[in-house]
Formats: sequence, C-alpha cells, structure tokens
Amino acid sequence: MAGIRLAGLTKAFGASRAVDGVSLDIPDGEFVVLVGPSGCGKTTTLNMIAGLEAPTAGDVYIGGERVTDQEPRDRQLGMVFQSLALFPHMSVFDNIAFPLRIRKTPPAEVRARVEAVAETVRVALLLGKRPATLSGGEAQRVALARTIVMRPRAFLMDEPLSSLDARLRVEMRTELKRLHAALRATFVYVTHDQAEAMTMADRIVVMQCGVIQQVGPPLAVYADPVNHFVAGFFGVPPMNFVDGALAADAGRLAFRAAGVTIVLDRPAEAVTARDAVLGVRPEHVRLRDGTGGWPATVGLLEPLGDETIVFLDYGGPTSIVAKVDPDEKIAVGDHRRFMFDRGKLLFFDGTTGERILR
Amino acid sequence: MKRRWLVAFVRHAALLAWTAVTLIPVYWMLNTSFKHSGEWVTWPPHWVPEQPTLENYAQVLTPGSTIFDLGRQTLKVLKPLWDSLFTATASALVAVALGSALAYSWARFGTGGKNYPYSVLTIRMLPPIVIAVPFLVYYVSLHLLDTYTGLILVYIATSLPYVIWMMLAFIEDVPRELESAARVMGASRFRVLSSVVLPLTVSGLVATFLFVFILNWSELLLALTLTNTQVSTIPITLNKFQSVNEGRDYGPQAAIGAIATLPVVALGFLIQKHLVKGFSFGLLRK
Amino acid sequence: MPAARRVALAWLEREQVFKWLPFVPVQALLVFLLLPFVLLVYLSLVSWRITRGVWWHAPFVGAANFTVAVRDERFVWAVIRTFGFAAAAVPLELGLGFGLALLCRERFRGRRFYTTVFLLPMMIVPAVVGYDLSMLLIDQGPLNQILSLLAGRPVTVRWISDYRMAKAAIVGADVWQWTSLVFLIVLSGFAGLPPDPIRAARAMGASRWQIFRHIELPLLKPVLAIALVLRSMEALKIFDYPVLLTEGGPGNSTETIAVYLWRVGWDFTRVSDAAAMSLILMVVVVMYTVIAIHILRRERRQLAEEAAR
Repeated sequence: MAGIRLAGLTKAFGASRAVDGVSLDIPDGEFVVLVGPSGCGKTTTLNMIAGLEAPTAGDVYIGGERVTDQEPRDRQLGMVFQSLALFPHMSVFDNIAFPLRIRKTPPAEVRARVEAVAETVRVALLLGKRPATLSGGEAQRVALARTIVMRPRAFLMDEPLSSLDARLRVEMRTELKRLHAALRATFVYVTHDQAEAMTMADRIVVMQCGVIQQVGPPLAVYADPVNHFVAGFFGVPPMNFVDGALAADAGRLAFRAAGVTIVLDRPAEAVTARDAVLGVRPEHVRLRDGTGGWPATVGLLEPLGDETIVFLDYGGPTSIVAKVDPDEKIAVGDHRRFMFDRGKLLFFDGTTGERILR
Repeated sequence: MKRRWLVAFVRHAALLAWTAVTLIPVYWMLNTSFKHSGEWVTWPPHWVPEQPTLENYAQVLTPGSTIFDLGRQTLKVLKPLWDSLFTATASALVAVALGSALAYSWARFGTGGKNYPYSVLTIRMLPPIVIAVPFLVYYVSLHLLDTYTGLILVYIATSLPYVIWMMLAFIEDVPRELESAARVMGASRFRVLSSVVLPLTVSGLVATFLFVFILNWSELLLALTLTNTQVSTIPITLNKFQSVNEGRDYGPQAAIGAIATLPVVALGFLIQKHLVKGFSFGLLRK
Repeated sequence: MPAARRVALAWLEREQVFKWLPFVPVQALLVFLLLPFVLLVYLSLVSWRITRGVWWHAPFVGAANFTVAVRDERFVWAVIRTFGFAAAAVPLELGLGFGLALLCRERFRGRRFYTTVFLLPMMIVPAVVGYDLSMLLIDQGPLNQILSLLAGRPVTVRWISDYRMAKAAIVGADVWQWTSLVFLIVLSGFAGLPPDPIRAARAMGASRWQIFRHIELPLLKPVLAIALVLRSMEALKIFDYPVLLTEGGPGNSTETIAVYLWRVGWDFTRVSDAAAMSLILMVVVVMYTVIAIHILRRERRQLAEEAAR
C-alpha cells in the first residue's frame, strides 16, 4: 500500500494544456475523488499516474518513489476503466488470472488466488463464462477482481460506474466503499458525477480546465466552496446565483440586485465596491407568510416525495429555487414571500468568480 | 400478393442470368480439361465430353519440365505449382507480418505521419510495367534475376499497401482500453501484442494473408519480367505456352487452369466474410 | 546475459523506439526497391538498347527519348486505348456489381448460393481467365453457339479476330472478373448501413424508393468511392487479358500501355524509349493518384466526423 504524490504535473498538447501544474498529496489509504466536467483533465491526470501518458512536466511519486519515467507495468497499480476493458476472448477466470500469469506465477497459486478473489467480489460462479455473457454489475465486479488479485499499491478508477443503470450504480458505490474499508488501500477515483464524488470521497479534488480548483472533504467543498464554479458544481438542485453589486450603504456593506437587497452585517470597508454574485443553496431559501423577505410568485413545482422543489419568480432574470417540506401547502401561482438564511450566504467576485467575504 | 411474386421472379431471373454468365466459363474450363485433343475444338461444341479422359491431368501432373520441341510441346505443372506456392506463401507471410506491425504502429502512434497509409497506396497504383524495365537491369547487376528471393522481395513490396489497409480496419476495432488495461496489469508492449491484439485480430490476419496469397499467386507481369527458367510460376507457364504454341494445347492448359484455380477458390470461400471487413478501407461502419 | 537482455528489451519498449520497429525493415525494403527508379530516370536520358553494350557507357541524349515517345503514335494510342478500356469497364463493373448487391441484400431463399457463385470470378487467376475466354470466344466456339441459340439464327461474332470485337472481349473479360469485387464491396456496404435512420424514415412514412434514394444512397457514397478508386487503379494496369486473350491484336487494337511498353522494352529492346514512356506514364498516374487519394481521404474524414457526433 502506498500514498501518491503529484508534483506540478502538466500535460500539454501543442499550445493547449490538458493538465496544468497539478500538485496533490494523497496519503496512503485515502479515497480521493477527482471530479469535474468533461475535458477538465481528470482522466489525463489519472493516465499520467498510471504511466499510460507521459507528463510534459512534473513528477509522480508512488510510495515516496519517483515513478515518472517508469513503464505502467512496473508501477504496481490496479486500474479499472470506464469500459471495463475485459478481454473478450478470455474467460472470466483467465481475465482475472492475467496479471498473475504475466508475472509467471505458478498455476497452483494462480488458481488459489483467483478463486479467493472471486469469492470476495462474489463472481465465483462466473469463472467459466465469457465477458460478453455477463450483466453490467457482474462485469463490473470481474473488472474489480482483476485489479484486486494483483495486490496493487493503489487503485485507479476511471468512471467505472458510468455504464451502469441508476440503481446498480448506487449499489456499486456502496460496494466500492466497503471494499476500500476492507483493503485499506489508496483509491484514486475519477468521475464527472458530483453525487458520486460526495458519497464516496474522503477528499474531493475539483478540477476545471486542467487546474485544481479546490481540495477538501465533501462537506467542506459543499459548504465552503472556493469559487463560483465549485459552488455551482455541487448540489442538486444547484445553488442559486443572483447577479448584483456590493456597495457601501450607510457605513455597512450592502448587496443589491434586481428584486433583492440585503444589508450585511459587515463594515463597508470589508471589500471594495464591485460587481458580485450572491450564492445561496435551495435548502437555505425559506418561505415566509406575511411580512419580511421579498415577494415572489410560485412559477413551477416539482414534488419529489421527500421534499418539494419550488421555483420562485421574484423579478430577477432567473427563478430562485427553494426546497420546502413536502407537507407545505403550496400551488403554482401562489404569492409568497421568501428569505435567505443569513449565515449561509456566499459571495463571489463578479469578474473572477473567487469567493469573497468569508 | 401478386406484386411480391413478380418481384421475386424478376430477381431470380436476373440473378440466374448472371449466374450463368459467371459459371459458363468456369464450367467450360473444367469441361475442356477432361477432353482429349480431338474434342477440343468442335462444331457444335461438346458441352459434355463424349470421351472423357484424364490424360491431360496425367500429362500435366507427372514430373518433368515443360518441353518446347518443334511440333510437340509438353506442358508440366508440378514445378510451376511449387514455384507459385512458395513465392506466394513466403511473400504473403512476410508482407502480413510487416504490414500488420506497420498498421498497428500507425494506428496507435501515428508513426509515419497521418498520410502514410495513403502514400503507401501509391505503390499499388503504379503500373508494374513502369518499373519492369529498370528492374531487369537492376536485378541483373545484383544477381537477383530469376531467383525466388528477387521475386519475393518485389511481391512483398506490392502486397504491403493492401495488408496495411486491411489490417488497419481490424486493428482499429480493438479498443485501446484493452491494451491500456493489459499494460497496467504488467504486460510489456510486446506482450500486449501477443496476448490482446493478436487473438482479437486473428480472423483479419488470416483473411489478409489469404487475400495477398491469391494476389501473388495470380500475378503475371512482374514474374514475367523478373523470372524465367529457374523460377517459373503458373501464370508465366501459361503465358509461355500461349505464345509459343500455334496449335493450341487446350486440354493440358485447361487442366493447369483447373489445378491452379480450384485451391485458390476454396481458400477464397473461407475468407469471404472477413474480406468484407478488410475491404472497408476504414470507411465502413460496423 | 539476462540482465543485458532485460535492458535491451526495456529500451525496445520505449514508445519512441517501439513505434519505429516495423518501419525499419519496410523502409529498407522500399528504398532497396526504389533505386531502380533512379535507374529509370537515367535510362530515359540516355540512348541504350539491351543489345548495345553495357548501360553505364550509354551515350547521353537528354530529352530526345521523351520527344520520340510523345510523338510515337502507337504509344499515344496505347494510352488512349487503356483509358478507354477503363472508362468502359469500370462503370459497367460498378453498375452491375451494385445491381447484384442490391438484389442480394435481403434474405431470401437461395441467397447464399448466389453470393457464393458471384464471388467466384475474382479469385481466379487472371491469366487463366484470359486463356479460358480465348477458348470460349473462338469463331466456332461456345459463346457464338449460345448467341446463335438466343438470337434464333446463326451468329458468328469474330471476337478475337475482329478489331472492334476484340476490344469488347477485353472489356468483357475485365467486367466478368471484377464485377465480383464490386459486388463484394457494395454488399458489405449494405450490411454496414445503420438501421436507425432507415427506421426513422419508415416511421415518417417514406416509401422504399424514397428511403433508397435519400438515405441509403448517400450513405453508400463512401463504398462506391472505394470501389471506384480500387477498380480504376487496377483497370489501368491491365496486362493479363490482352496478352493471353488477344495478344494485343488483332493488329494493335487491344494493345494497352502495359502491353506496348512490354513490347518496346522486350521485343524491340528499345529500353531507353521504354524508360521515357514509363516516366511519362508515371506522371499521368501520379496525377490520377492524387485525385484518388483525395477522394478516399475526404470520405474517410467525413465518416470520422459523423461518427464523432
């Protein structure tokens, strides 16, 4: 088992950089998730860790050892691909046995280890079958078995669940977490699905355009995003954003936007006056009766059973989305008033997207 | 529905017509091969030999070399058969090995530039006659004239374009992630080739081999230029005989035609399905 | 030594080295075989016959051979004739092959039989085809007999001895043999048609003809392009049929470029002239090649774009 360290990892294709100066320290045994939109460089980073792509600059360290120039096969890593990459011309047994046979492991030991691992991931009954005959979940587990049997120093996973249907995906997520707990190995997991990242990670690494935006435990990334992009990436429904400006208002700092004005409990000098974006999550939008707050009309309702999503038209360019209790009596066209939880307001610079006023 | 019946009728009529066109020459060749010399040219033509005989085959298949005597030529096919077999097989094997490796290298790494397969195709577009003349002089100086090596080398070069294009189609069908997975699991690049790429492209390799084999087996012009007596493939033998023989020896020639053709046709059927894919030149969808 | 071997293997595996490995022998072979081209250019610039001493002592004559070649009527005619054959044969092959594939694309009883038979001709040695047809096409021969039966009266077409019919015979030989290949290519094209656009069109109420004309035909364009390029490439080179079927005759009526150059070089031993003509021919072929490659690349690129969507 080993930790992984990335130092200034860069991958350039001509003038453009798929990965730009990525540095990251992953301690042994951590479950790290690289998350971000397509093309953000997460898969390229993973490939560089595996040695499938050579970095233009920077280094990769596994277990303290510099492996940047090593061939993939010498790095002792287990990797699961999005397409699972099971060898179609081999049986399940041969697929799992492959890494062992390459290393000329004696047949008796091969048999023993393959069967043991097959038991662990519950594919023991499938050993004689061909990959084409397996279901999505079964193929998934065979791919896992193939990596586990190698006893690698760390596990790399490139969107392994994206080809599964929703229910199976949720099941496999739990299975992977259990596996991680049992093996106590380092997991580097790549996905574009923020829910997956939130549920599985010890720490999340948010990437965009080849650059790390933020690193932290899920709740930190969720509640304390470092910029506009990270804030908007997590949470379903996504965070509400209101474009406006911060300016001085009688010695205090105030945020003004169409239909919404908030005087903050901060001195006017806290930040220079500027365009700013207010961010507030749907669960922090409260509906009020009577006075207080701002007026709005209910535009759309999405009852989900455990909560109801409410779209409020308040005069601004987009609706404000709120989450309310499913028992709340509300209908489209209702006139209500809404307010934000004071302590949960986030402000971002209007030009750079950086978080201000923390 | 009467319409359906009509369509089926027209379809079968057209297909049968072409079937006749296709099979008649083939039948005639087989037919003639079993006739003795009196029956070769008759009017009306004998569609079935009245006195079938195996003497043509007997003559052609017994050992000995083709004799060009005044008045009597005796056509022999054993040596030409061997020469054709050897040159076609050797050149096909080498061409397939080299060409597939090349196709893989280009498909995975882009070696040679993005236009390489196209520029390689120009080899094939060149009429062999263009190089026939200097090649003669060239080979004479190198003592390669009329040798197996000389002919095989040229055949390899002319086969490569087809090998590359056909194998490209098959190689591109192997998902790259399979190779990546194998590499991470500890396979060297060579091992990846043998354990992953090779098994998954076997049908393509076989089809390409057989296709190139047929191509070289049938080749006339270059063989005519570069070989004569030491090496004498079947097409050359047929041609030599044709040009020397005034009163044509239809029977033995038909026998040779049959012997030369049937094995190749059999091979062709085996690879029928795979030819389809290999001939896609990367342009057909799956 | 195992250690040294391991180091050597490790070096061979590096991408930079690995990817060039097959190129080394291939390029070596191609270079080896390219040297005669230099010789070709040299030969075209000197005056040499095989009978006249050694080639490296031949006198230099500059462009004289080229002028002779261009003025050589027989050469020019051979070129025109060859393009004529290709222009006649290739469209026929494309049309027939396409038609046959169209008839065979759906399952029906006997389909396998027909497909098997239709693929036969392209696997036969062309020299054998030439020779075989020469037997069939004699004046008092089987083909004329069949034609007589079909026409209801005696028909004696002098396929080989009449200069017009001989040309038809050559074209016929080529078409007979290579329609088979076009058939194969187009058939695979049909097999590779994506079912979804066709299903969608059906749902929208399009008729069979409309589907064929507006959806399938455009999708088959790359297939036809391949067939066109492949066949015209090979058709311009024909040698086997004229030699074995008609021996370039009667007269010179079926003398293709390949046959004429052969004669110039061998029968007349005018090697330098043959060299000059070869070079001129090469220029023509290069022009043609550029067009053909352009077509292939365009189709391949279009397909890649479509696949990406």
